[in-house]
Amino acid sequence: MRNSMKIAKWEIKRNLKNKSFVIGLFLTPLLILGFGFLGSLFDSDDEPEETTVFVNDQLEIYDMLAETVAQYDLEWEIHQTKLAEDAIQDELENGENTAYIFLNEESMENGVIPVYTTDEIDSSFSTSVQLLANPLQQVRIAQLNLTDEEIAIISSGVVFEETSAEDYHASGEQSTIEENPLEKLVPGLFAGVILFAIVITGMMIFQSASQEKKDKIAEIILSSVTPGELMNGKIIGYFVLGIIQVVVLLVFVIPFAVTKIDEPIIEYLLVPETLLLVLIAVLGYLLFAAIFVGIGATMADMSTSGNFQGLVMMLPFLSFALIGPVLGDPSGIIAKVASYIPFTSPGVLIMRLTVLEEWPWVEIAIAVAVLIVSILLFMKLAGKIFKVGILMYGKNATPGEIWKWIRS
Amino acid sequence: MEVMLTVDNLEKSFKDKKALKGISFEVRKGEIMAILGPNGAGKSTTIRNIMGIMYPDSGSIKFHNHQGKEIPRNKIGYLPEERGLYKNVKVMDILLYLADLKDYPQDKAKERILMYLKKFDLEGKEKVSIEELSKGMGQKVQFIGSILHEPELLILDEPFSGLDPVSQELFKEEIRSLADKGTAILLSSHQMNLVEEMCDRLFMIQNGQKVIYGTLDEVKTKYANFKCTIRGKNNLADLEAIPMVQRVEEKDETTVLYLDQAVNPTSWLKSLPDSINVQELKINRISLHEIFIDIATNKNLIQEAGDSNA
Repeated sequence: MRNSMKIAKWEIKRNLKNKSFVIGLFLTPLLILGFGFLGSLFDSDDEPEETTVFVNDQLEIYDMLAETVAQYDLEWEIHQTKLAEDAIQDELENGENTAYIFLNEESMENGVIPVYTTDEIDSSFSTSVQLLANPLQQVRIAQLNLTDEEIAIISSGVVFEETSAEDYHASGEQSTIEENPLEKLVPGLFAGVILFAIVITGMMIFQSASQEKKDKIAEIILSSVTPGELMNGKIIGYFVLGIIQVVVLLVFVIPFAVTKIDEPIIEYLLVPETLLLVLIAVLGYLLFAAIFVGIGATMADMSTSGNFQGLVMMLPFLSFALIGPVLGDPSGIIAKVASYIPFTSPGVLIMRLTVLEEWPWVEIAIAVAVLIVSILLFMKLAGKIFKVGILMYGKNATPGEIWKWIRS
Repeated sequence: MEVMLTVDNLEKSFKDKKALKGISFEVRKGEIMAILGPNGAGKSTTIRNIMGIMYPDSGSIKFHNHQGKEIPRNKIGYLPEERGLYKNVKVMDILLYLADLKDYPQDKAKERILMYLKKFDLEGKEKVSIEELSKGMGQKVQFIGSILHEPELLILDEPFSGLDPVSQELFKEEIRSLADKGTAILLSSHQMNLVEEMCDRLFMIQNGQKVIYGTLDEVKTKYANFKCTIRGKNNLADLEAIPMVQRVEEKDETTVLYLDQAVNPTSWLKSLPDSINVQELKINRISLHEIFIDIATNKNLIQEAGDSNA
């Protein structure tokens, strides 16, 4: 263990002194911020422009409409107009982002109100205009000379209230306070970033193991430590490097996020759920690190890797392929099965737990147990492969050979 | 002399090929013991088994002066045959790391690194990155790495390969002086002239088997018989008829007569018939180099010499 720590320390030091690693370390958060900033640039382009709305009001309810517009904070500039329906042709052809609404007895009776817009109109206009339907409906009802009670009944409409069996039991303690979606999202995102960063750094283990072979230094190191110590040292070392990457990332991104997003992000982050999510991310790292270090020891360099090694390298990205189905149905069969497959379980679990309201504790426990068992198994296998592979110079191991080492 | 390492009846197979067929020898304190043999004879395999980088199928390796089953890695210095160091690190950093892995105190290591860099003509290179060094310089750095922690047993696999004569001389001197200070040294090589100059005892190996084992003097008197080289056109049968001649080898106009062990050079010279055409005549002992070539090319000179001595 002491020797493993020495190796870990060395790997950390060596990488931190390596210019390309340091550049990468700071470039990653800068890129992320860069894209975030670019995104907000495009966003500001999309900012809804004020739509000029002319109302030809023959019912004298313009003031009420203006009030509604103010109430919903619509990006409208509302005016009254005397132009008739057949006189606006010109205005519409030459205007931009302009709409005409005609309110008259006839349209009120039919319940269909003609609205004319220019070709170019803000995309939110057609939804915004619907907001006027309600007050207009009130006006129509008021014309029927009903009592206030009758008015209330009519205007309230009919809705269905759904209660599932589970909610039915829990109805007593049901809280009506709507949770902020960010509150759930932040710990999940955090764990996802950790998983991603340390798995990416973990891929450097693979490089480091094959580099050791290429530089032919393995034998010297192994004259001082056992292969197992060397392997563990590498796994620990690159784990710390991954964490350093995460810390640098957070140092850059969190202040940015806090100033940009108007939510108490830090508060959302400091919840017990974060711990479990981070634990899953760390387990995911250990699994992939074991696989990478073993495979890295079987090949002389990246460019000569066979299909087999290439496939293994793609394993961590398997969970990305499942983003769609898992987020679409976080309790669905795909999500459940993927939680039990060790290669996909870290990513999928983090996704599911981020989205799911109620955490399926039994499933989590089984998935984590499966993950831990497979980590132990893969560590053992990697140890066997590493021991033979790291000293095999000049050629890549075939899957057949690797299988033989595992069995020996 | 105190025995530091005993290798007993080592056997190792790769697939169906037997690489080591019962190798036994020992290395003593303060001596230079050489493992000689052609490429593929099993030298590096033997050494890797000693270092615990491979495990023998049978046989035992015992480190004296050390309790417990584990290899006392901290007390061994090892220069492998496959040379290499991390590319993009500084000379000082990697040497300190290697010393640290051996549990050698860092401040003392630093002192010794500077001392050795100076000795090996690398003064001021401690901050240079490994990839900027020439191959020979890299090899020197590696050698320093293997002796930095004052090992009790030093194992050098082909230490001279790829070195220029000046550096070879430097290495030779340093290895000799380490042995004089009491380090047990096991080195493998196929450069006979160097080995002949410096080793105390040798173990010659061919096809994973012992061929010769003994002190340099023993080996020389036992195996290195006299041979007589004659330049001039002669009839092969005439030469073979000369007494005490074991074997005759002819190449162009030069003939080599391999003589019996018991030969007395002066009286043998007198017995040469007058009819022989001599342009040039040379009489000397068979060198280690020739013994080695014989083994490597599978002639049975040694066998004969050995048998006639048996």
